[in-house]
Amino acid sequence: MKFFDIVKISQKNLLRAKLRTVLTVGAVFIGALTLSLTNGLGNGVKAYVNDQLGNVGAEGTLIVRVKQSQQNPVSTDVSEYNPDRQVGTFNISLLDETDLEKIAQIEGVLEVIPDNLPQLDYITAGDKKFEVAAYQNIEGLNLTMTAGDTVNEDVPNGITVPNKYVAPLGYNSAEAMLGTTATLGYKDANGKTKNYEVTIVGIQEQSLLGNSNIVVSQTLAEKIVKDQTDGVASLSGKYVDSTIKYDPNLSKEELDDLKQRFNDAGYGAQTVQDQIGIISTVIDTILIILNVFGLIALLAAGFGIVNTQLMSVNERTSEIGLMKALGASRKQIFLMFSIEAASIGFWGASLGAAVGIVIGTIVSDFASKDFLKDFVGFRLVAFPPLPTLAVILGIMFLAFLAGALPSLKASRLDPIKALRYE
Amino acid sequence: MKTLIEAKNLSKVYPSGGEDTVALKDINVAITQGESVAIIGKSGSGKSTLMHILATLDRPTDGELMFAGRHAHNLTPAQVDHVRNKRFGFVFQQFFLNARNTVLENVTLPLVIAGVPAAERNRKGLAMLENVGLLDKAKKRAGELSGGQKQRLCIARALITKPLVIFADEPTGNLDTENGAIVTELLFKLHKQHNITLVIVTHDPDLAKLCDRSILVKDGRIVEAA
Ligand SMILES: Nc1ncnc2c1ncn2[C@@H]1O[C@H](COP(=O)(O)OP(=O)(O)OP(=O)(O)O)[C@@H](O)[C@H]1O
Ligand SMILES: [Mg+2]
Repeated sequence: MKFFDIVKISQKNLLRAKLRTVLTVGAVFIGALTLSLTNGLGNGVKAYVNDQLGNVGAEGTLIVRVKQSQQNPVSTDVSEYNPDRQVGTFNISLLDETDLEKIAQIEGVLEVIPDNLPQLDYITAGDKKFEVAAYQNIEGLNLTMTAGDTVNEDVPNGITVPNKYVAPLGYNSAEAMLGTTATLGYKDANGKTKNYEVTIVGIQEQSLLGNSNIVVSQTLAEKIVKDQTDGVASLSGKYVDSTIKYDPNLSKEELDDLKQRFNDAGYGAQTVQDQIGIISTVIDTILIILNVFGLIALLAAGFGIVNTQLMSVNERTSEIGLMKALGASRKQIFLMFSIEAASIGFWGASLGAAVGIVIGTIVSDFASKDFLKDFVGFRLVAFPPLPTLAVILGIMFLAFLAGALPSLKASRLDPIKALRYE
Repeated sequence: MKTLIEAKNLSKVYPSGGEDTVALKDINVAITQGESVAIIGKSGSGKSTLMHILATLDRPTDGELMFAGRHAHNLTPAQVDHVRNKRFGFVFQQFFLNARNTVLENVTLPLVIAGVPAAERNRKGLAMLENVGLLDKAKKRAGELSGGQKQRLCIARALITKPLVIFADEPTGNLDTENGAIVTELLFKLHKQHNITLVIVTHDPDLAKLCDRSILVKDGRIVEAA
């Protein structure tokens, strides 16, 4: 038998018992739809998270903190007071100048950039003042920009602002805002309000992982923080964390060694990827749980296929007997029923994927216009073609496995028994 | 004349609970290429069983079957399939047609199994249907045919691979006299034209008389060969 003829006969046989086929395909469809939607959601979220990684961390940087005595903020343990350690808000041990010097000595550290966190009160470009928070610029930070460029240390009073500030500050477009001046307001250590004139050199695109704060140069951040902490012993020269630079060409093992050296010296060092990794793990876990539901549905569908195919073999006993009497081989009969089973998988999976893509696209479009409208470029549900194809093939294989027992039964039928069967 | 099929000391026993059913015992037959043989006997005497064993559809409990000088039990499954598909044609008592498929699809089934391309299949199928007077029914569903037409369709299906032997189990059993005569005429026409060997199981003495010889089976034994 030609393969094409076997496929044709299989499809015809499926159409013969329409209701039964529809019900069995329906069961596969539900499982495939679930898998398709959960995978689509996972792909959408993860693609976005990966895309945004560059927006929160520059290449070749580690974020270093004092190794915390209390790793878990809700731990029931109480640590003994250590007079050499300054503890900040939320019980976080802070880095001081000695620490920074120690860190600079660690092998592999190219540069230490303590994280100055200026406490800004407002930004204004006219009458109205708006609340604002600032990050310090890290060279190599790969922010997505709507207009202009990222902050350059050669222009100390240049800042970038998220595009949500464009309209409030009185501009029609991001381009119109480029190159204009604005005023930052903050309180110094004595509580006196100070103003600082800055130039807007770039407008940032909004994103999921931070990026909603303005970015100021290291020089400016340092200056403001100095103003705010001068003379306050508990704050002056103290940092929650520090960015360090290392050779971005380090291999994974060399990077692990570097982290280990920090660990040995009493510091915790993480790449942004490490920090994002926690988010990814959470997303993965949720997706795995959802996928398990899809797989359970498919398992049930698999039993449906076994049942359907056994019925089909019983109904067609004399037909199988005739075909064997006319010279059909075991292999051909097995193939005929296997293709039938795999086809049930194929139709169910393809329909499931197709409907999943339609639903996913509608939901994505709605979400992008509604509760996710601030996250430019975020597709809630994404369907990369290869994984979608892999799911369809996987379900076809599952259906084939489910059909294997009935197909084997059919292929082993003795032609005489089958022909005498009434 | 060449011996095509030869059975030596064949027996067939159906084990059934306490007492075994002996369907065939000490059967010796030789069927020569091109002859027509009738297998006759009472109901339950073992005619169908004998025909099935001669046609490699069933296996004997004991004894030997030779096909074209070769031991049948030495043939590989693929060779058995080949013999069934290319060398033998079957006409069964209960038709065994696919009622939902068209007449053309039914007649070409052996060619589908053989892997013949569709165009060639349909050409041969239509030619064969013309042979048995069913050309105008080619696109009809097999289920819509009358009994006589169905049996003619079965004969067409048995002939389409140009076999050496046609095994027919009660080919006229389900037909009225008129249709029985048509089918009989058809079988013997092909037998004479193409030198096809006929092995016909029948109750009908008139049909048996048309054959070169008859084998009378009684209680699983051959009691008379004429
Ligand atoms: N699968 C089976 N299991 C047990 N006994 C069987 C089986 N098939 C046939 N028999 C027995 O073998 C004997 C011969 O059966 P067979 O079908 O060959 O008879 P037959 O001569 O063709 O009869 P009929 O003219 O009614 O078709 C019968 O007694 C039948 O009951
Ligand atoms: Mg019989």
